[in-house]
Amino acid sequence: MRVVLAEDLYLLREGLVRLLEAHDCTVVAAVETGPDLLDALLAHRPDVAVVDVRLPPTNTDEGLQAALTARRQVPGLPVLVLSQHVEQLYARELLADGTGGIGYLLKDRVFNADQFLDAVRRVAGGGTAMDPEVIAKLLQQPARNVPLARLTPREREVLELMAEGRSNAAIGQRLFLSESAVGKHTASIFGKLDLAPSDDDNRRVLAVLAYLNVAA
Amino acid sequence: MFRSYALAPLRCVALALLAVFGFVASLPLMMAIGAVVTYPHVLQLVRRLTALSRWLAHTWSGVVIEPPYREGPVPAPLRRPDGWYEHDGQLFKTPHYPAFFLRMQWLSDDPATARDWMWLVLLAPIGGLIALLSPALVVAGVLLALGVTGPGRRALDDAGLIDLVAWPVLTMPGWAVLAAGVAAVVTGVLAGPALLRAHGRWVRTWLGHPGLTWWQSSGIGAWLRKGGHDTWKAALLLGLSLTGFAVFLLTVLLTLLSGGFGIAWLAYAIRPMLNQYRRLCVKWGGGEPMPEPYRQREAVPEPGPDGRYRVGRTLYATRDGAHRAGFFPWILGDPATWRDLAWMATAPLVAMVAVVPGVLIGAGYFGLFWQALFWPLWAVPFGLITDVWISPWYVWQLMTLGMPALNGVPGWLSIPIGLALGLLGVLLAGPVLRLITGSARLLLAPSRSARLTQRVEHLAQTRAEAVDAQSAELRRIERDLHDGAQARLVAVGLSLGTVEQLMDRDPAAARVLLAQARETSAAALAELRDLVRGIHPPVLAERGLADAVRALALDSALPVEVRAELAGQPPAPVATAAYFAVAEALTNAARHAQASRVGVDIRHTGGLLRVTVTDDGRGGAEPAHGGGLHGLRRRLATFDGTVALHSPLGGPTVLTLEIPCALSSPRTSTS
Repeated sequence: MRVVLAEDLYLLREGLVRLLEAHDCTVVAAVETGPDLLDALLAHRPDVAVVDVRLPPTNTDEGLQAALTARRQVPGLPVLVLSQHVEQLYARELLADGTGGIGYLLKDRVFNADQFLDAVRRVAGGGTAMDPEVIAKLLQQPARNVPLARLTPREREVLELMAEGRSNAAIGQRLFLSESAVGKHTASIFGKLDLAPSDDDNRRVLAVLAYLNVAA
Repeated sequence: MFRSYALAPLRCVALALLAVFGFVASLPLMMAIGAVVTYPHVLQLVRRLTALSRWLAHTWSGVVIEPPYREGPVPAPLRRPDGWYEHDGQLFKTPHYPAFFLRMQWLSDDPATARDWMWLVLLAPIGGLIALLSPALVVAGVLLALGVTGPGRRALDDAGLIDLVAWPVLTMPGWAVLAAGVAAVVTGVLAGPALLRAHGRWVRTWLGHPGLTWWQSSGIGAWLRKGGHDTWKAALLLGLSLTGFAVFLLTVLLTLLSGGFGIAWLAYAIRPMLNQYRRLCVKWGGGEPMPEPYRQREAVPEPGPDGRYRVGRTLYATRDGAHRAGFFPWILGDPATWRDLAWMATAPLVAMVAVVPGVLIGAGYFGLFWQALFWPLWAVPFGLITDVWISPWYVWQLMTLGMPALNGVPGWLSIPIGLALGLLGVLLAGPVLRLITGSARLLLAPSRSARLTQRVEHLAQTRAEAVDAQSAELRRIERDLHDGAQARLVAVGLSLGTVEQLMDRDPAAARVLLAQARETSAAALAELRDLVRGIHPPVLAERGLADAVRALALDSALPVEVRAELAGQPPAPVATAAYFAVAEALTNAARHAQASRVGVDIRHTGGLLRVTVTDDGRGGAEPAHGGGLHGLRRRLATFDGTVALHSPLGGPTVLTLEIPCALSSPRTSTS
């Protein structure tokens, strides 16, 4: 898997390169500024880009803007955005084009190498990886979303994991359920939220995120 | 039919008499209002009088008038959880007094109440003029007809009325005078019902539901109204300035008697009135606000080593004594005190100008014009009874007493002259009011040095508060770091040290410890993230105010609609203050207001960043209870910003922040 990496802190950049290379990834470019990132993305067309939101020279949201610009030119270019903090606002902007291949995680998530690489692979495969913190904030707004209150606690757990972008198999593994049991839960959730069921994992995730009013 | 024509002139006379009675009665009624207790009863009486007018308009003029008074329940006093009743910041044991005040407020807030008074004092007599036309024609006709016959003329002569009709009777042929007399009587009788109806409509205009009349809609009406209002305002300022002059005279007297101490007390006591005068001048004259120019009183100094307090060159044993002694240098050392005194000394100049429109309108319109037209109403009965006949132009004659040159002017000319003088008064009212309010600024507005002094005081205070707030914030951050992230990193270090030792001996235990270390470091990160959010939210640094507020809106438990029109970014400290203010407002709306929607509006106009947060909750947010609002006001004061909270019971609640600032480089926000 060919990866473009953008991170301005040397230690973290080197750490990420080591982590990725140890797991069968090739880091084709490791850059530290916004403009360099845009150039690298357009030049290398990587399988996935791992991007820090805040990059020099302005130290604002350069990384995010470069990723969004690149995705406008190369639709569906898989991008996994890392940040010290997560904002629904950024999640919306990333998901706005509705084409998938988007990840948005706290930097802390790299602590767990397995889960991090799972997210990288999912995004590279056109899937979605949303940070649990974003999803938790979305589900904490009962006043905005009445049907959510009709879900059972178990269904809420399933919905949370589904919104993070996980497949039925991954959800089952996480909750110690059989895949078919997870399937039943998802069907029930889709019924209660009035969503059209879908077999395609990715489309299903986007539908859930759209329902939660983050994606287009 | 026949009866209505015969009765109309009499009814007209009755209506005019009622108008005069209302006018006379209004004076003691107005005085009675001053004694607050009688207020509702007085209003009840006034309403009875106007109800009588309405009833007469219905039965005599055939004009139906609906009472225009506000309906619905009078607001009930608010009972607090502790059993007391609250009204206007005062607590009462029983609902009696609050209910009384609320009722009074409710009555006086009713626009119909003001219209009732207007009617009683000003308008009923004017309407009386319409009504009087009919009986005046009848009386004039009868007098003319009487004057033609010999006995009639003698009777008129005896009654002293012959002068009134002498000119036509002596100069014109008898048949013509008789015909004119009969014609006047017939016209008066025939026009009676029509004039009654006209009077009824006049009553409806003022005592019915307020519709648009020419008085409200036409340019001339607006001009007359404004002139009238300006005259009242000038008269009120005149009263205040004369009070000021009286205080000045008293000050002079006291100074002579007490050797100067009186100045300080009187000058201090008069300040509230002068502040009221300042407010009125700004309200009516426009222009920049005129803040109070006075210095703040300095705190009593700390006692010296001997335990005594020093004020000037004197040492005081007690704090109270020092406080009292500090009063004199405080008042007498303030230049504003002397400017106040100078203004009070020159107040008669103001009075001379302020009195002009009132005198012109009073003497011209009400004296010369109105008195002459109303003369028959009282002078004819008066003359018939006492046999003393007063000329219709008596006001004019009184006025010209001292001016022999004017004696040659015929009396009837006083009617157009009076009208012209009244109009001149209306014309002058506006300029006069502007002149008074403008001249007040010369002495009553804070001088440049007073303004600078106040500015310095304000800056010193807000700076002290800002420094306090900042150091408190730093202490909080230090404590959070010390107890949180720092401690956790120590724990991680410890775990790693142990792992180092265990690695070879007990790999399984080492693995458990490693997992623990990872969890602890994740927890430390989460804590740091929260801390950073509280100091300076990253999204604010990355995106600026508008998007940071949008991010805030997305995280809110309520649906929040954000409208932001910013061409650039406000300075970072201002943006941070505005951001946290919105955050607090959103939290309050979600937590206390039971709101279902919130709107945030951010714009920058005229060098002012204005943020408005509106929620549709239950309202009644009290600044007194919300320490948050006080803190917010203090934080914004550092930037000369202001906070306004408008939250009537039942909502909506509107919080408005205004911070003067300039926007920097055009970093357009994405919307």
